[in-house]
Amino acid sequence: MTSEALPIIELANTPQDRRRIEDVPCLACGCLCDDLVVSIEQGRVVALESACELGRDWYQARAIPPLPSPATMAGSPVDLDDAVARATLLLHSSHSPVIFGLTKTSLETVRAALGLAETLRARIVLDRSPADLGRVSAFQEKGRVTATLGEVKNRADVVVFWGADPLRTHPRHGERYSIDPIGRFVPKGRAGRTIIVIDTKKTATAEKADLFIPVSADRQLESITALRLRLRTPLENKTASPVDPAAASFDNLLQHLKAARYGALFFQTGPQSTTRSQALWEAMSSLVRDLNESTRFVLLGMGTPGNLPGAEAALTWQTGFLQGASYQKGHPSPLDDLTTLDHLLTSGEPDSLLVMSDALPRNLSARALNHLGKIPFLMLGPGATSISEPLPAVAFATSTVGFDAPGIVMRSDGLTLRTRPIAASSLPSEKDLIQRIHQSILNNARSPS
Amino acid sequence: MTYDLLIQGGLVVDPLNQADPQQRDIWISAGKIVSPPTNPETRALRTIDALGEIVMPGGIDVHCHIAGSKVNAARAMRPEDHRDHVFRGGAGLRSGTIGSTPTTFATGCLYTALGYTTALDASIPPLTARHAHLEFADTPLIDKAFLVLMGNNHFLMDRIKAGEPQNVRDAVAWLLQAAQGYGVKVVNPGGVERWKDGAGAVVSLDDSIDAFDVTPRSILTSLARAIDELSLPHPMHLHGLNLGIPGNASTTLDTLQALDGHRVHLAHIQFHSYGEIEPKTSLFASRVQQLADYVNTHAGVTVDVGQVMFGETTSMTADGAVGHFLARLTGRKWVNIDVEMETGCGVVPITYSDKNHVHALQWAIGLEWFLRVEDPWRVALSTDHPNGGSFLTYPRIIALLMDRSLRADVFNSLPDKVKSRSGLGELTREYSLSEIAVITRAGPARMLGLAAKGHLAPGADADLTIYSPHSDKDRMFSMPRYVVKGGSVVVDAGEIRPGPLGSTLIVEPRYDPAIVPAIKAWIDRDYSIQFANYPVAPEDVANPRFIPIV
Repeated sequence: MTSEALPIIELANTPQDRRRIEDVPCLACGCLCDDLVVSIEQGRVVALESACELGRDWYQARAIPPLPSPATMAGSPVDLDDAVARATLLLHSSHSPVIFGLTKTSLETVRAALGLAETLRARIVLDRSPADLGRVSAFQEKGRVTATLGEVKNRADVVVFWGADPLRTHPRHGERYSIDPIGRFVPKGRAGRTIIVIDTKKTATAEKADLFIPVSADRQLESITALRLRLRTPLENKTASPVDPAAASFDNLLQHLKAARYGALFFQTGPQSTTRSQALWEAMSSLVRDLNESTRFVLLGMGTPGNLPGAEAALTWQTGFLQGASYQKGHPSPLDDLTTLDHLLTSGEPDSLLVMSDALPRNLSARALNHLGKIPFLMLGPGATSISEPLPAVAFATSTVGFDAPGIVMRSDGLTLRTRPIAASSLPSEKDLIQRIHQSILNNARSPS
Repeated sequence: MTYDLLIQGGLVVDPLNQADPQQRDIWISAGKIVSPPTNPETRALRTIDALGEIVMPGGIDVHCHIAGSKVNAARAMRPEDHRDHVFRGGAGLRSGTIGSTPTTFATGCLYTALGYTTALDASIPPLTARHAHLEFADTPLIDKAFLVLMGNNHFLMDRIKAGEPQNVRDAVAWLLQAAQGYGVKVVNPGGVERWKDGAGAVVSLDDSIDAFDVTPRSILTSLARAIDELSLPHPMHLHGLNLGIPGNASTTLDTLQALDGHRVHLAHIQFHSYGEIEPKTSLFASRVQQLADYVNTHAGVTVDVGQVMFGETTSMTADGAVGHFLARLTGRKWVNIDVEMETGCGVVPITYSDKNHVHALQWAIGLEWFLRVEDPWRVALSTDHPNGGSFLTYPRIIALLMDRSLRADVFNSLPDKVKSRSGLGELTREYSLSEIAVITRAGPARMLGLAAKGHLAPGADADLTIYSPHSDKDRMFSMPRYVVKGGSVVVDAGEIRPGPLGSTLIVEPRYDPAIVPAIKAWIDRDYSIQFANYPVAPEDVANPRFIPIV
């Protein structure tokens, strides 16, 4: 990929010298490609080598925004110290705070935010979809047979994309990990792999696949279960009619899966309810486990923009609860598997909300928004002071991890990378601000009121 | 000199420096134990009256799993294991959950509450070392270190095949530095690679790891040589072949013989000491006597036991093949993670029951090891936490070692089939306090080459534990009165207190920089990340402390 189409990206607060930054990890889609090369001249990115379209868009979107106010109260720019004092007061006087977000920032920020959560006796809800919560529940029921992406690159001779369309959503996934690369045990690269796509319609990835099997959205679970049954039942005992085209294509699929020397299945459920997603992930985890009776097979997700895996990891090592945790009792206890921000706000119970993200929570119901309008709403993150609907009581604009703030992030397969910021920022980082607010609350708690 | 702390009048159990416990004072300044002041008028900032108490160096766990992707996968998968098992923290201490895999803050505090001041995670892949360091930064009070997995590393296997011992040595040193680790761990050498590749299990030292044209034997001897040549403070730390498989004692003996002349530490030796399966009963017998005889007569060999304790726990290993074996055996949930170019990982819940013949035998075999190794300096107390049981069971194990009637009570309650297959019932040995201090402190420090730990002479780290003597040794070792870490009192009159984070112990062996281009070419070709992003950065390590290579 080249930088031909790159509009020049203006950077604020960046030294005017000429620099070339190599091995830059990109947080745009979840692939976490770490081979970007960024050339900067006179405060402008003039070349962005190895970035895909999504990566270029990611950097472009963060270039030279109108310099935001570092802090606002009810939309009006204020001194940062005043905003910290106000946030301290609001959070410290809150009895049932909720901290939401944390999936687009560094592991260091998440660690700091969990410390604040403990002091505040807050509940922590990560910004993730109901389908993600289903994936979590399934993991806790079944575990998972999985691998790092380099194992797929080096070993996988059969790669299945089930509901995943990397050519569209993760443009360099195939090139780097799953379709094209020459691997130690896949010396022919693409020619040495059988690529199979299973999806509701013929996707961009399916166009390039060796085998495409359409499965309608409402027959996913049934299909996975049928594959498991067929895997366990010798072919001659099959009851399905050989003229059933679906059965025939599944027999074909099964032959490919069983013939794999090392198979990799990338699974994406699409938007699903938590319960439905859990059922799908459980079935898929069981199928892949079963396949390991006769060969090697691994199950992976595709990854999402930002650092959801890092947030989940730190939440787990500090609280023990991948599904979300509450410090309301002064120690961690698990949130209900189905807990989303919408559920919590709709219950009317939280009396403050701190959002740590670059955007507002999506798809909040009218009842949730109604409650949000009644409680202190604080926002902290890149662009937070530009949010107006609903208007935060206090907002803090921060630098962006991976762009102009440092920090460690985790890829969907568990590898961690230290980001390489390409610009400097006049704004504080999320981690520094959280630590400052936390310290202010601790000081406040100690001083006589 | 300011004397920060005086531990006055305690019965000091310091087996490195004195054969028998002696009543003496211990003076502490700037985190170290110092010589007593010559001026009798000198006072310390604080004095702890230890009259009638027992003073020992801080405990050192030479083999446990407390951090990194494997442990965190267990925490994530098993909320039921700790949902109702809370660590409350307290003023200045973060809370957490416990279960078989405690959260980071709980881990640091719970080790401290047992009088342990140092713990070594035994199995971290270099590729995920940064994650382990992040967890160490959240593990308070204790000193931490980890061993770096190398027994299935593609680059090393390629160099071994090519017959390039110098490159093996340089690559070992480079990997240790890249991970900011403390020593070298070898897990099922070649066998993990073979299982990951779908070629099944390795069973003997001379099985071929086909794709690499090496054998477990060539990997073992090459790495042992490299470790010796680098003069690393800790020898090769080995999880051998056929873990948990009946008949594996013969493989263990073969392994020891193959490594004759090298230093080696055999981890969780209990899991490697089984006789052949008897077709009639499907049981096997203990082979500890035969293996312990070898250890007793070969000075370069040390072991930790990997004691099994009855109850619910979580198995976790870099040996992917063992994870698969346990998943099939138990039918329970299973996490497997193949880690590119380096290793595997398996996590499966397990419940050890005294009604299960194999589990009961494992319990007896572990205790046999403690009692049959004549020199306590050569055997360390471990449960392979959490594999055989939690580190929280250590006081109970100590009680079993110090009291043969307690041991007999359990042993006699076991099924007859078990009793006839272990010689434990005939072993009357009881550990003394000094011997307990050896297997939990002085010995592990010596095995790890930590000259400033495991003893209480001037110059040592001021890591120590004060216990109140009690006839119930489980109770005594569960509840230290005081724990001092680096000169800070972190358990004070039985209450755990906030204190320093503790250090991350690291070695930085030298290597010939000529090896780096070859490593870079390999990483850039095979890995899914760039060479430049592979090594752990200095800022990724919490409170690094470099242990000199002598």
